[in-house]
Amino acid sequence: MMTNPTLDDLLEGLIVSLENEIMPHVGSPKAYTMCQMVQSLIQEVRQAMPVYDTYIAQEHNQMTQVLRDVAAALGDTTGPEADRIRTRATTLGTKADVPMPADQEPIRAAHQELGYALQDCITDLDVLQRAGNTRADTALQSIRAHLLPRIVRDVATLTMAGGMAGRG
Amino acid sequence: MEQSIVAFLERILPDATSIVVEDFQQIAGGFSRETFKCDARVTRSGKEEVMPLILRKDPPDVEAILHTDRSVEHHLIESLRLRTTIPVSQSYGFEMDPKPFGQPAMIIERASGSGQTSALFNGGADEDQAESVIKHLCEVLVELHKCPINKIDPNGELTDPLHRGTKVDSWDSFMDSTIEFFERSYTTFNFDPILMIALDAVYTLRRNKPRPMPLAVVHGDFNPANFLYENGQVSALIDWEVSRVGDPREDLGWMVLMDVISNSHVMDYPKKEGGFLSYYNKLTGNDITPEELGYFTLFGTMQIAVPVQQFVSRRVNKEYMLLLPLYVAQSSMGAFPAMAQLMGYAGVSA
Repeated sequence: MMTNPTLDDLLEGLIVSLENEIMPHVGSPKAYTMCQMVQSLIQEVRQAMPVYDTYIAQEHNQMTQVLRDVAAALGDTTGPEADRIRTRATTLGTKADVPMPADQEPIRAAHQELGYALQDCITDLDVLQRAGNTRADTALQSIRAHLLPRIVRDVATLTMAGGMAGRG
Repeated sequence: MEQSIVAFLERILPDATSIVVEDFQQIAGGFSRETFKCDARVTRSGKEEVMPLILRKDPPDVEAILHTDRSVEHHLIESLRLRTTIPVSQSYGFEMDPKPFGQPAMIIERASGSGQTSALFNGGADEDQAESVIKHLCEVLVELHKCPINKIDPNGELTDPLHRGTKVDSWDSFMDSTIEFFERSYTTFNFDPILMIALDAVYTLRRNKPRPMPLAVVHGDFNPANFLYENGQVSALIDWEVSRVGDPREDLGWMVLMDVISNSHVMDYPKKEGGFLSYYNKLTGNDITPEELGYFTLFGTMQIAVPVQQFVSRRVNKEYMLLLPLYVAQSSMGAFPAMAQLMGYAGVSA
């Protein structure tokens, strides 16, 4: 996957484009307000995306604890309600904690550093290839073998079929 | 803007007694210029005529995909119109002073015909015209490539119009200087490491140059969106801003790639002639092989990829905040597997 631009950069781009390139040309007050709503929702996604998985994992682990705490607080209270609460504590409340997602920032930085290292290898290999080193040909194929499934997957993941908008 | 068009027309039509501009509106046009259309109602010698017009305006410099020159484009279009039978829209002139239109601009005839070329393919409404339209398109391209360079470009404006350091004194110097341009440009657009596929392409092109061929004036952006058609014929070949002297195989190669990206099938027609390349070879006797076509698909891709990815790079670096470069980044990604295939990455299917 590309690490630059980031998904946040793309979402920011949508908000800015709505503001500068679309809304000035919107004649209908209703449609203008809808654009503002779209901007607001995109901003919601921007704010949620970096913390969403972490918060979900945190809240998962907190809720299992709360279920156990609730049951414990009831002590020897009897009755069907208390029984159901204790059952939840011993079933759902004993779910194992889920792992917290790794911080993506350093992973992306390292990914980018590795990518540029491969880029520099291509340059060095070209010098060797032009000098007649056939092992460099083989070495280049290793990089290409890595790149190929990546770009095929990126195209499948990130692009839309059906041609280019505004191009006939 | 309408007043500026009127003033422009008054200059080129000094005998006009009345000029009224109507229905002025921006249209999608291409990605590189701001394009507007309008009708000018012109009265001359007591007689009124309607001139359908296109205004092509440069974007602000920092937002430009291509830094091209409207005067060069005007001279080329007029040369083609007057010296060949290649169908083009008449260019009425250009304005390099940015004051009237905000940026340098040119005004050309709005040619008749449909620009919805996607209707020719994939069961589109005009698919019945595809055979004859694409046959004619091939004939137009052949005429362009066979025409002597100095007939179309007597003043040498197309030698290196993009100021890339291109040399055209021989085929080898053209290829070498162009590949050198690709190589030194790479660092201006490698905003993400995945673009290393473009670097691999540059080196692959240098290591595998094909046989020489006489240079010609090439369209430079010969793609499925750059022609209009009507009644089974090409009514205009449009968007000449990156035309220059080059290897004629570049236009064919670029069409191959843009066919893939655009989900069109220009290269499959005319079917009765065995497809575009087969018919082109029949008309020129060039015997361009599929391997050469592949090489120039990669070469043509780099010709356009450099300015396009520079455009994206400037947006990624937030030098401006337009949406278009982000869309271009997405839509051009479809070229990567095709490039991989052309370089012989193992396991890429056609």
